Amino acid sequence: MKKYMLISPIVLFIILMLAQDCWAIPAFARKYGFNCNMCHTAYTKLNDFGQRYRDNGYQIPGQEGHEKNVLETAAPIAMRLTLGYSAYDNTEGNTNSFNLFGFDFFAAGVLHKNISFLLIYTPRVDEPGADYTGNDALQPGGLESVSLIFSNIIQDALNLRIGRFEPGYHVFSSKRSYYLFQPYEIYSFSSPRNDYNFDDNQIGIEASGHFRSGFKYAAGFINGNGAFADNNKNKDFYGNLIYTFGDGDGQSAGQRIGMFGYYGWQPTNVPGSVVAPTGETNGNQDENFYRYGFDGSFNWETFNLQLFYMNGIDDKAFNSLDQTQDYKYSGGFAELDYAALFNNRLVVSIMYNWIRPPSYDEGNYLNAYTALVRYYLGSWTAVNVGLHAEFAHRELGKTDKQKDNLIALALDFAF
Amino acid sequence: MKKIFTAISFFIFLLPFLLQAQESVAEPLTKINVHNLGPQRLSNLPAVSVPADNPQSSLKIALGKKLYFDTRLSNDNTISCATCHDPANGWSDEGPTSLGIKQQRGGRRAPPVSNAAYFPLQFWDGRAPSLEEQAKGPIENPVEMGNTHTEMLKTVDNIPGYVDEFETVFGTRVVTVDLVAKAIAAFERTVITTDSPFDRFVRGERDVLTEQEKQGLEIFNGKGHCTACHWGGHFSDGRFHNIGAMPAPGQPADSGRFVITEVPSDMGAFKTPTVRDAALRAPYLHNGLEKTLEDVVELYNLGGRTDDPNLDPLIVPLGLSDAEKKALVAFMKRALTSLNPEVADVKPVPSSEFPR
Repeated sequence: MKKYMLISPIVLFIILMLAQDCWAIPAFARKYGFNCNMCHTAYTKLNDFGQRYRDNGYQIPGQEGHEKNVLETAAPIAMRLTLGYSAYDNTEGNTNSFNLFGFDFFAAGVLHKNISFLLIYTPRVDEPGADYTGNDALQPGGLESVSLIFSNIIQDALNLRIGRFEPGYHVFSSKRSYYLFQPYEIYSFSSPRNDYNFDDNQIGIEASGHFRSGFKYAAGFINGNGAFADNNKNKDFYGNLIYTFGDGDGQSAGQRIGMFGYYGWQPTNVPGSVVAPTGETNGNQDENFYRYGFDGSFNWETFNLQLFYMNGIDDKAFNSLDQTQDYKYSGGFAELDYAALFNNRLVVSIMYNWIRPPSYDEGNYLNAYTALVRYYLGSWTAVNVGLHAEFAHRELGKTDKQKDNLIALALDFAF
Repeated sequence: MKKIFTAISFFIFLLPFLLQAQESVAEPLTKINVHNLGPQRLSNLPAVSVPADNPQSSLKIALGKKLYFDTRLSNDNTISCATCHDPANGWSDEGPTSLGIKQQRGGRRAPPVSNAAYFPLQFWDGRAPSLEEQAKGPIENPVEMGNTHTEMLKTVDNIPGYVDEFETVFGTRVVTVDLVAKAIAAFERTVITTDSPFDRFVRGERDVLTEQEKQGLEIFNGKGHCTACHWGGHFSDGRFHNIGAMPAPGQPADSGRFVITEVPSDMGAFKTPTVRDAALRAPYLHNGLEKTLEDVVELYNLGGRTDDPNLDPLIVPLGLSDAEKKALVAFMKRALTSLNPEVADVKPVPSSEFPR
């Protein structure tokens, strides 16, 4: 590990020396001719302006009806590629490799006043025909998002998203997190037999809105089953309420506090009979589960502290460890981001994740400590190249701890 | 059956949106007023569009220039258009607000005439739809030129040299307010600043901007959020925003665009001025309360200086560092200051050259 710690800053330094001043060719933000910092504190994290833009259906507030639609702009497409080198070690051994960590194809735009769309396609990066048995082997199609957005149906108070989208309870988006390798652990944790993943984008419909008073809300009905065909006839629903105060929306200025709740159903046995040609089943012994929690985002100058806490309760039917009681757990994360240098070229962040499962499942007790540094070669019109270094240390288990370390260097390229 | 009903209801709900979308076949961009579109790339200024009923001619422009500088259009022969829209003050005035007839202080500062031809609406509140309409307003404003259109026309009619020129330009010896306005507007359409260091930079002279100015451009177009409103070749969206400006001391809050539209969201909103040549015309904003460009940048950095509930949603605190603020100011100060000799060298028409 020491070897990698030494190599990292050297590689970073060499790449920095190669960076040149550039008035780059625009791509994704070519519609407006903006550069990335218009909407991002630093790519990929939205600032207040970017958040308002997103909330307004990818229209600049006040420009509804004046925006160029997708027929009047250059092709409204973009892509993101992350590639690099990672080294991993745990008690079993260690490994290292070059990787294509991910590729996103992105299209979004305004179709008509207050009607817009978003599509994110995430193809698998393994070779065609390969026997891929990784974690995402079951991911069909890789349509991370595809949704229509109807904005300002009742001024700012009612907007609708329909399709597969990132639910409003993702107040801290794992998709737009600076962290490429360390997930928000609590997002993807659940009891042993519950397939629901809080981190997933979901298929359904969501209403959202915001008010001059500083309150924002989102509420939705969804399958609760990620990209898969629904596995039961019950729909899940959720809501979150946010209050912002101070100047800003809590993304990059001002402060924000919020609460959220999720009520869902999942089959507790193998999914029932397929009753629709599109694959939906009627479920089999559906039982319910809950998620609820609190969050806050606090800003001071270019520091941003993000706090997230969640409780999960899964019906005892999901609890293969002790079927006499519901599976209850909690967890969260605290992330402190700092943007520095000219035009936020440098981002430094530290994050702590924790998961507290029931005492009889202490093997899933988790503490994770992560730090990253990102440096952006330029803030160009719709082109962004970030140099990313991330270090994570995880301790899984309460008494018998399994420790692992990850160090990764990556290029995070968006065009 | 219930699901079918739900699906049909949902489709009916979507139908109005879909039909609207169907109607929205895009017009060719050339037929659309640039200000009807959303933000455009920062660029060189396009050619000025000229209304069909007021084509440009050199004689008309010359006539308009004389009228522009002629104090005899005012009630007491002391105020001309150029008194407040002074070429020596970046085609605006010394501020903080304009000083009109009999030393009366107006409530707002004179918007610059340079590049005003690119605005779809004139005045801070957009109450005039054209330069021609704008030119008529100050003549009969009691705190500006303090005249009436009738009295002004009597004055012009009694100057044979003007009547002769009107006949030459418009083919009639009957001078009307509309013809006076057309001549002045024709002159104003020549006050265009197309050649700044920024323009040269865009045309490919990459070394014309200093490193700090390039950094300023980067901030202008990103973290500073300036291009959310100050976009395109004109560095203005031509629209109206409440930016959280302080009201003038001892004065009631200016309702701005709301007076014209009576739309609540227009309360306290004013037209986005162009940033071109901004360095030539301090102080800033509609009430001249921001004395320097540094002050203006600080206003935006704070996300406005007031807690106005009607603050435009585009206004958010920026978190600019001192270096970023300085770069931004450096960009606006020199890089956007025009080098056009035909505009920079415009001198007032001496009274000896006015028609007699």
